[in-house]
Amino acid sequence: MASPVSVYNSNVLDAHISSTSRESLKMELLADVGLLPGEERIIDKDIIYICPFSGAVKGKVLITNYRLHFKSSDADVAVTLDVPLGTISRVEKMGGASSRGENSYGLDITCKDMRNLRFALKQEGHSRRDIFELLFKYAFPVSHGLPLFAYVTQEKYEENGWSVYRPVEELRRQGLPNNKWRITFINENYELCDTYPAVLAVPFKCKEEDLRRVASFRSRGRIPVLSWIHRENRAAIVRCSQPLVGMSGKRNKDDERYLDLIRDANDTAKLTIYDARPNVNAVANKATGGGYEGDEYHNAELVFLDIHNIHVMRESLKKLKDIVYPNVEESHWLSSLESTHWLEHIKLVLSGAIQVADKVSSGNSVVVHCSDGWDRTAQLTSLAMLMLDSHYRTLKGLQVLIEKEWISFGHKFASRLGHGDKNHADQDRSPIFVQFMDCVWQMSKQFPTAFEFNERLLLTVLDHLYSCRFGTFLYNCESAREQNALRRKTVSLWSLVNSKTEVYLNPFYTPESGRVLYPVASMRHLELWVTYYIRWNPRIRQQQSPVEQRYLELLALRDEYIKKLEELQLSDAPRLADDGRGADPSSPPPASSPARQQHYAHLHTPF
Amino acid sequence: MEFSEHIKTANVEDVVLHQPLHPPSKGTLCITGHHLLFSDREEDSGRQVLLLLRNVDAVEKSSVENLMNYFGLFPKPGRSDRATESSGTIIIKCKDLRVIQLDIPGMEQCLNIAQSIETLSHLDSVAEMYPFFYRPSHASLGEQWGLSTPERHYTEMEALHERWRLSTVNQNYSVCPSYPPAVIVPKAIGDDALKKVAKFRQGGRFPVLCYYHKKNGMVILRSGQPLTGANRKRCIEDELLLQAVIADSDKGYIIDTRSAQQAQQARMMGGGFESKPCYSSWKRLHRPMERGKTLQESLIKLVEACGDKSPNMDRWLSKLENSKWLSHVQTALSTAGLLAECVERDGHSVLVHGSEGTDATLLLSTLAQLIMDPSCRTLEGFLTLLEREFVQAGHPFQQRCSHSAFSHARLQQECPVFLLLLDCVWQLWCQFPLALGFSEALLLRLATEAYSSDYGTFLCNSDMERGVHQVKDKTHCLFQALLKPKERDQYTNPLYEPNELAIWPSVHPQSLQLWSGFFLRWTQQAHHLELVQEEIRNMVIEWGKLALS
Repeated sequence: MASPVSVYNSNVLDAHISSTSRESLKMELLADVGLLPGEERIIDKDIIYICPFSGAVKGKVLITNYRLHFKSSDADVAVTLDVPLGTISRVEKMGGASSRGENSYGLDITCKDMRNLRFALKQEGHSRRDIFELLFKYAFPVSHGLPLFAYVTQEKYEENGWSVYRPVEELRRQGLPNNKWRITFINENYELCDTYPAVLAVPFKCKEEDLRRVASFRSRGRIPVLSWIHRENRAAIVRCSQPLVGMSGKRNKDDERYLDLIRDANDTAKLTIYDARPNVNAVANKATGGGYEGDEYHNAELVFLDIHNIHVMRESLKKLKDIVYPNVEESHWLSSLESTHWLEHIKLVLSGAIQVADKVSSGNSVVVHCSDGWDRTAQLTSLAMLMLDSHYRTLKGLQVLIEKEWISFGHKFASRLGHGDKNHADQDRSPIFVQFMDCVWQMSKQFPTAFEFNERLLLTVLDHLYSCRFGTFLYNCESAREQNALRRKTVSLWSLVNSKTEVYLNPFYTPESGRVLYPVASMRHLELWVTYYIRWNPRIRQQQSPVEQRYLELLALRDEYIKKLEELQLSDAPRLADDGRGADPSSPPPASSPARQQHYAHLHTPF
Repeated sequence: MEFSEHIKTANVEDVVLHQPLHPPSKGTLCITGHHLLFSDREEDSGRQVLLLLRNVDAVEKSSVENLMNYFGLFPKPGRSDRATESSGTIIIKCKDLRVIQLDIPGMEQCLNIAQSIETLSHLDSVAEMYPFFYRPSHASLGEQWGLSTPERHYTEMEALHERWRLSTVNQNYSVCPSYPPAVIVPKAIGDDALKKVAKFRQGGRFPVLCYYHKKNGMVILRSGQPLTGANRKRCIEDELLLQAVIADSDKGYIIDTRSAQQAQQARMMGGGFESKPCYSSWKRLHRPMERGKTLQESLIKLVEACGDKSPNMDRWLSKLENSKWLSHVQTALSTAGLLAECVERDGHSVLVHGSEGTDATLLLSTLAQLIMDPSCRTLEGFLTLLEREFVQAGHPFQQRCSHSAFSHARLQQECPVFLLLLDCVWQLWCQFPLALGFSEALLLRLATEAYSSDYGTFLCNSDMERGVHQVKDKTHCLFQALLKPKERDQYTNPLYEPNELAIWPSVHPQSLQLWSGFFLRWTQQAHHLELVQEEIRNMVIEWGKLALS
């Protein structure tokens, strides 16, 4: 007689996969798959899914031009997979017609979101040929001259996500233009810098021809421009790429003068330049024409932040995947986790951003760059802005932050993620944006009431980072998006999010304008984001849905509360209704509050 | 008793206090029989720090005898002179993991203070301990002490009356000194038989019922190990008792908290295990759990890693792993999960024991009840569970909690079993944010109170000892105090939703976290999160009130 089967007793897993109701299996297995408007069935097939947790599962797979959908036909194991094809980075054949062993012939699919899928087919009559070829074609449309699904979908939403971010409006919210900074359209046709946005903010005293000369001395023409300015002390976060110093130690008077203008704009003695790279890497970059600001920049100090490059980050996440999928490392989990260095990289990025934020909040302007200024630089500026400006901690604010610092400033999403590209081993791939979202998650863990959005939003964003269902993360830069009529022909991810905001809201959000959030970037206080990196493992996953349900209820309760409170205040004294929150426009009250309309009126401050 | 003889210097002015989360402050230090009192001079608000001396785990003197002091040995006469020229520093490491530093002017005063703290912090006599002197204005002695009794526990569970009875065989603690006077046993077994069984079980701890699973009538029993010894002694009454537990069901499980090898070795020392031929309906499962010294050392290592001040913390995760604390948490939770599974999923009764049956055994039975029984998951339910399964069941709190992680004293009976339990409960709390009716603040409070307390609840090692010292008459009850309206508000979980289902913990290392609320409690970050939790609780309560109005 065997001892009781159990998750506590053995590695056999059965308990956590719920069993389906039998009657649903009587129906055509894949008839009820809800397809998106514009989504088309390509092929379906009987197949065996080799589930790493419950073993081989018989069922049916459906491939559309958007997704791979699998449903088990076995009554005892209910397994459903729903994977957007955009998530797939690699499709390979596993075994051959003569391979021995059960389920040794089939397909091996590698995904970008920390999982792999293996399917087995009957070993006869080239049973996998058609599905392999179709999958290969639709998973990598770009390599086959096909449009990405974002251009095919016919989805409609109440909200238009493309209107979330308006560059000039956002700069005005920050108080620009003022007597020190101006908005320039010099890059309107992307001629100054093809990877920068059309709208830029630069020192007031700097003329357009100066900008061109500075561009010639900055890698890829990515000149120093303003990302954010402190409302009170006028200290600015300025971003750019490395100066083209080279082996010979070239100088550029215009660049030097330009940086001094930035320092001068808020009248401090020194400008701090944060070079995100480790010192040695910055030196090594001289060999390829790059480099860093030397002593010739008189009123500037240079600080290296020791953050490693995209290749190091890619390898680190790969190591992490090795210890969490399909099987989680059991016996030496913590030291294995340590050896991936993933949390250490998170720590360095966060502590770099903390230094930037701290400098700015104490009244000093900073310049942030790495090599090209589109990976580490974007991480640092956006995280520092999240710490400094409570507006970015709202649901809409985070969208603006991503649109601005990542999308418009040319983080190379297409190259880093390889949308629709079959070339899975491309050296340009790197999880820089994932790492940023991890940092946001770490902050939201440390400040549970400071963010209007919840974890679900972060997961949704990361899912659609790969899905190619929305135009939001497609292409490398704004000019490419313009060329491909992205805004006209695709839907924004924010349309989806903003049409159903309640599921993305944190019920405990308490707006606190003007508060600078400094997370603790110490290994002791950082955690692995288990609910993202290990979410495919059913044994690790905890009861998410009841908690989400409860949070929705609380959200409704909170809204009820705010409503009643406002009624009370209205009947008491009409003036109290503002609750003192309207004082600072950078912090809107909860999205559902009526005070919000009133609040946004503040934003449209005229020139 | 004369505390005064231990206090050579009662008051010192101009002492600088360094404590976590606060800037250093200057003020007056005062030592009393049970407390260290520091009053901040600079602040009008009269901020005070009152530390129970029992909370002090270690005192370290790092004298800052400056050069002046050496010269002081020369002609310069006068004690007072010397005293002003030198100063000393005392570092006090508390059982609640707080570390505070006192800079005391005057070497002699400093030494006196250190000496007093050291002596008064571990007085051995129970009767001299603070709970016997604690007289809060809002409560009076003689109020109900404790939340329940074995009698009430039995009366409330009518479903088990048919086959189980309340025995008062231990009325005078003569059968088992560490059991309460009344225990629940199979109806078929008489008191005389129980006396024989008690002789066959370590510490007289014969198998008693601790949990009845209403859904299927299965039970959890606990006991000490059988004293089979090297020559495989048997005890027919013991076998009959266990047989009576199973009755018509086909079998039961014995979860032995030692490895099979350890159980074998125990026979050489007079202990042993239930052998297959004698207990044919019982299946033994060995699930070794660390105990005693090993567990205490694990705590010491963990606390050391948490307090590591060096800026280079890149080996933090390895240090955390090497302390093995989280793997003890994992073992405890998974064994408790197994126990619950035997009862709830498999539908069998289980007997749990190790050797004494006062540590790991109680840890498992408590956790398993929390997993299976929704009535244990409310604030009252949980405190009642702790009272029944730890206090009344005879967990030797005094021995186990006399020192914590900082003490330099040679380890004797110290072992953080109760802390491990609280950590496991906290893990459940994290994994099931809605299922438990109490807050993390309660767990933190209990973790502190177990080691040093104003209340008598965790005094002594057993019910019998508490009787001898008249604890129930002369001290106040912590559990009662925690349930008073004002206190209770702090300790409820605003997200709580009663849930009839079992809560099966995930026990993979990825699902377990360091209990930073406790182990990193005195850091800014943990403090901040404590405040945020309070804020959230107030928020939810406030919404609820208005929604109801």
